[in-house]
Amino acid sequence: MAGPFILGISSGSGLGVALVIFLGVEAGLLFELSGIARSWIMVCAAALGSFGVLLAIILASARLKDSVTLLILGLMLGAASSALISILQYFSQATNIQAYMMWSFGSLGSLSWNELMIFSVIIIIGMIMSIGLSKSLNALLLGANYAESMGVDLKIIRLMIIINTSLLAGTITAFCGPIAFFGLAMPHIARMLFNTTNHLLLTPLIILIGGILMLLFDTVSQLPSMEATLPINAVTALLGAPFVVYLLLRKRNIHYTFDK
Amino acid sequence: MKLIHTQSLAIGYIEGRTNKVLQENINLSLSSGEIISLMGQNGVGKTTFIKTLSGLHKRISGSVYHQDRLIDEFSKSSLAKQISVVLTEKPFAAHLSVIELIALGRHPYSNWLGRLSTSDKQAIDLAMSQTNIDYLARKKLYQLSDGQFQKVMIARALAQETDLIILDEPTAHLDLSNKIEIMLLLKSIAGSGKGVLIATHDLQVSLQLSDRLWLFNFNRPVLDGCPEDLILQGAIDQTLFPINNNIDLTTGTVKHLDERKGNVLLQGDPTMVHWTAQALQRNGYAVNKDTPTSITINCLNCLWKLESKDTSTSFDSIENLLIHLK
Repeated sequence: MAGPFILGISSGSGLGVALVIFLGVEAGLLFELSGIARSWIMVCAAALGSFGVLLAIILASARLKDSVTLLILGLMLGAASSALISILQYFSQATNIQAYMMWSFGSLGSLSWNELMIFSVIIIIGMIMSIGLSKSLNALLLGANYAESMGVDLKIIRLMIIINTSLLAGTITAFCGPIAFFGLAMPHIARMLFNTTNHLLLTPLIILIGGILMLLFDTVSQLPSMEATLPINAVTALLGAPFVVYLLLRKRNIHYTFDK
Repeated sequence: MKLIHTQSLAIGYIEGRTNKVLQENINLSLSSGEIISLMGQNGVGKTTFIKTLSGLHKRISGSVYHQDRLIDEFSKSSLAKQISVVLTEKPFAAHLSVIELIALGRHPYSNWLGRLSTSDKQAIDLAMSQTNIDYLARKKLYQLSDGQFQKVMIARALAQETDLIILDEPTAHLDLSNKIEIMLLLKSIAGSGKGVLIATHDLQVSLQLSDRLWLFNFNRPVLDGCPEDLILQGAIDQTLFPINNNIDLTTGTVKHLDERKGNVLLQGDPTMVHWTAQALQRNGYAVNKDTPTSITINCLNCLWKLESKDTSTSFDSIENLLIHLK
């Protein structure tokens, strides 16, 4: 049940982006920098924001064994980020608020080729890292103690997972806006379709299914009879939220345990 | 060859800012081919000790050596080639298949993607045939019984190809036949040259099959010895049954204190005598096998002949005999 949106990771990177848009423009920073440098700053801010939230969650997870509490913690961190963003908005000029609002709707089409370059480099690195982490994630299916007894260095792997997730979630959020429920739903869809828990298979499958579905959603968002494009964030949430409700009803409890 | 030994080891955990020591000054060693049972009451530190030995838990002081090298000198993955564990916790992933789970045991040997080589596959096959679970290979974990699950977890530890296997209560929740099967399996694993350490509460089974016992007590030093010696010294009695002393030390069974209904002389076929004696003791009779008493029971050919004073009656079952005696 833990997706980047639910755990507040997207909100964290949203906060990073908001800080850049609102404070950066105030300081006149963004006008002086070229396009590429600006997108780098956005990426770094977003990745740092999600990194912060993730770090808080991982630190808390050492103390909390209950996954429900962890989800609530994520929601709280998300709420705190949103509150900070609201305050920033309150003291900002109308043009910046509009820029931020446009960003938060989410869009797959508003990137320049230069930005796309940065985007693809980071995403490819992230995907390779995800596949590299599969082996340890498989061992972790048996629980932390078993994984450690089989030679998984928990500290390093945890750190790698945090860095990779914040890099991926941060970059995507910075460039495409906060896209809700997509990251949560994809692994479940892949697992339902292919009935496997092997991450080495799941990771490429999730990347593929995710890519296909995202293109499908983007097509839906560009309604044929209308000039305007629906915000992609609204489309994923509208279609994703019912799916999450369905998952909740099907599983009845959030814990992924031995109960069938 | 000494697989593992400890030197004035203290185990426990950190509680706030102080160390809560469970056991200290532990000096024990386990050699290859040995099967050792670790016993003691709940909360005495058995699981903590096991986790400390396998590097999953920080020790408080002292040292742990694997084949004469300090445990801290090993990297996580080289330690995983020395020691494998079977814990009491169940995996999160109930949808994992048996063969996938056992293959995870090859984690320290496979490449960065976790691809299995021919030798990995051989080790997995060997582990499955050693534990007799080939027929379970395609089953999912949630489909297994407790006994099957335990064998699968042992197979996973075997696939890890370590010299030492440590198991935390491998026979808990199992029925007697499964308990015996698991213990015989562990015995044969030890016979193949590995060292086996078991934390257990199963007195009878571990007395019969362990080469040595390690007894953990509250506030007393750890005891180490041959099971039979420890019984004769009364150490088992003190360690495991400090409160009620109703345990018969000759058999490891519950002693019957309630023998007020009288004495019975029991004679005849040894097997029948054994079980008739148990039934009589349960019902409050003291049984002896040589001194004449007022009641004599002769057991022969599935007939029980009761002689008291001048009367003599025959019964075709213990149940009818007991009804008559009441």
